[in-house]
Amino acid sequence: MDKLLDILASGIHDAKNQMFVAESLIAATEAQHGIALGEARYAIEAAADRLSRTLAAYRLLRHSATPAVTPVIVSDLCAEVALAQKSHLARQNIELTVDCPLADEWPLDRDLVGDMLNNAVQNAGRFARRAVLLSARRDGDGLVLAVEDDGPGFASLPPAAGVGLTVAERLALLHVRQGRQGSLRLDNSSSLGGARFELRLP
Amino acid sequence: MADFSQKRFLVIDDQPLARDALRTIAQTVGAFAVEFASNYQDAIYRIRNNTPDIILCDYVLGEGRSGQQLLEELRRFNLLPDECIFMMVTGEQAYEQVVSAVELVPDDYIIKPFSPDKLLLRLERIVAKKNFFAAYYKEKRQQEYARALAILNAQRDSEAGRPYRFEILRQEAEVQLASGDAEAAEASYRNILDNYEFPWARAGVARSLHKQNRLTEARDEIERVVAGTPHFFDASDIKANICMAQGEHAEAQKVLDEVSKKTPRNYLRKRLLAEAATLNGDMETARAALADVVANDTMPGAVTTEDRLSLARSHIDKGDKISAEKVLVGLRDSEIMVLGLDGQASFAALLAISSVDKGKPRFAGLRPALLASELEPATRLDVMRAALSLTDNDLADRHAEHLMASPDAKKVFSAIRSQYALHGRENDFREIQRQVALKRIHHDDVPAAGPG
Repeated sequence: MDKLLDILASGIHDAKNQMFVAESLIAATEAQHGIALGEARYAIEAAADRLSRTLAAYRLLRHSATPAVTPVIVSDLCAEVALAQKSHLARQNIELTVDCPLADEWPLDRDLVGDMLNNAVQNAGRFARRAVLLSARRDGDGLVLAVEDDGPGFASLPPAAGVGLTVAERLALLHVRQGRQGSLRLDNSSSLGGARFELRLP
Repeated sequence: MADFSQKRFLVIDDQPLARDALRTIAQTVGAFAVEFASNYQDAIYRIRNNTPDIILCDYVLGEGRSGQQLLEELRRFNLLPDECIFMMVTGEQAYEQVVSAVELVPDDYIIKPFSPDKLLLRLERIVAKKNFFAAYYKEKRQQEYARALAILNAQRDSEAGRPYRFEILRQEAEVQLASGDAEAAEASYRNILDNYEFPWARAGVARSLHKQNRLTEARDEIERVVAGTPHFFDASDIKANICMAQGEHAEAQKVLDEVSKKTPRNYLRKRLLAEAATLNGDMETARAALADVVANDTMPGAVTTEDRLSLARSHIDKGDKISAEKVLVGLRDSEIMVLGLDGQASFAALLAISSVDKGKPRFAGLRPALLASELEPATRLDVMRAALSLTDNDLADRHAEHLMASPDAKKVFSAIRSQYALHGRENDFREIQRQVALKRIHHDDVPAAGPG
């Protein structure tokens, strides 16, 4: 066993428990006083996501991690990303549109792919002027999940890789099905005129 | 939108702060009543007495227990009706690794921290799914397997079934296995594997092959699963069972020894370990495992009379007839009365071995039934041993011969041989072996299994 990994995992576990206590208190206050503190809860969840992503990055880079693949309903996955991000973006006058008509199940790691999409939407929100589009469609025997915005696009291609991107790239490659591998593509081919993040899963 | 305002929630968590947080969230989604359980036993007690509508269970329960273990125990004792929602709550992604591998999964799991809205979304999906499968669950519960399969079949290609294709295939395979159609189950699991290499589906193939007595293939399949997903402990149980059927008792025990250390409070696994250790001739491990089961498997009704018979058997194996006798005479008549012929025969046989005076009359009284009836392999072994020690050679040989000609021959071969050797009857054993082989040549319909 990796001692350091255990220490990190347990520390993050405890921190997220504390965050959950904080979020539940805020939710109770909202219900009690009829006020909206969604942004406070959003900040807590974003911090928790960041911790999870850091741990995932450590696992992926230091260990031979395997994704935990279960059948996931694609439209449900997109709906959860929308639930997490939509109102936060709306406060910045950015509209998140979801175009995920796929009611089918797809074998993928729900939490890691969900985190990847959340991260991509957050990034898009930082550069978008008014609109971000999250879409899912079948392409041949693959699944294409894309996040597009109407911002200026990436200044250089390929863009400089942060933690989120490094993890995303590894994760895409770890999704393997019948010899086919997932892939990640970043370019400026957005249908909205800006940057486009595309995750392809076999 | 599903309405949760009339629902009763049960929150299971050993940490008071986390418990309060879960309650708060449950109340925010409109729960009618929220109950608490602070530990494993308390949770089982509450669920038995008054099944909640929705269970929010933390994965880490303390005292070496996990939410997954609780889920398995609830299913084992049939305490979770299909209508009840079981949601695992976890602080870290590690549980996802478990869910993606194992065969027995909760309705869903959710990672902390999460908002009331997210919980609501997840609960609504579970309700939709349960509604979709409601008619099927009903037939399955009543063991109307043909009708259950017909429902799945109709749903598989329906538009409403689109989100549940994998689940439909998985349920189909499970029903086929439960109804004894191992070949169809194998085909269904392979159908799933054609889509994706899920460990639980590969384990299903192994179980289906085992049921068809295709042991070498079953072993190959389960080895792949064990190697690929070491945290999938049930796969080790399946492997051990296959090893035992192959007569590889040392390997079976080794596998179970390792995995039992990681799951010290899984008493079904302890029972399996005892079985493997017994077959492997490691009498001390068998005795210790069974003593642990009888002392610590605290679910009411979990420790059965059969468990006590196994414990007595392990004492006899160790040569401790006094302890065996103590266990056997400690059983109440009412407990023995309700046993079937197998249990009664084992009880009489083990008592006759540990105390000839006390056991011989009862054993003799059962003799006509023991000659005429079909018995379980473990019972036959007990009867054979008692008969050998009472020098009732006819009875002993009859059961030995039957065992050697059965599909369980590899499993029990060395036990039979050592018992005959113990009573100085090695030559008679070889003669029985020869007779069985001859009969097999003359009758192709005898199941092909034997030592070797």
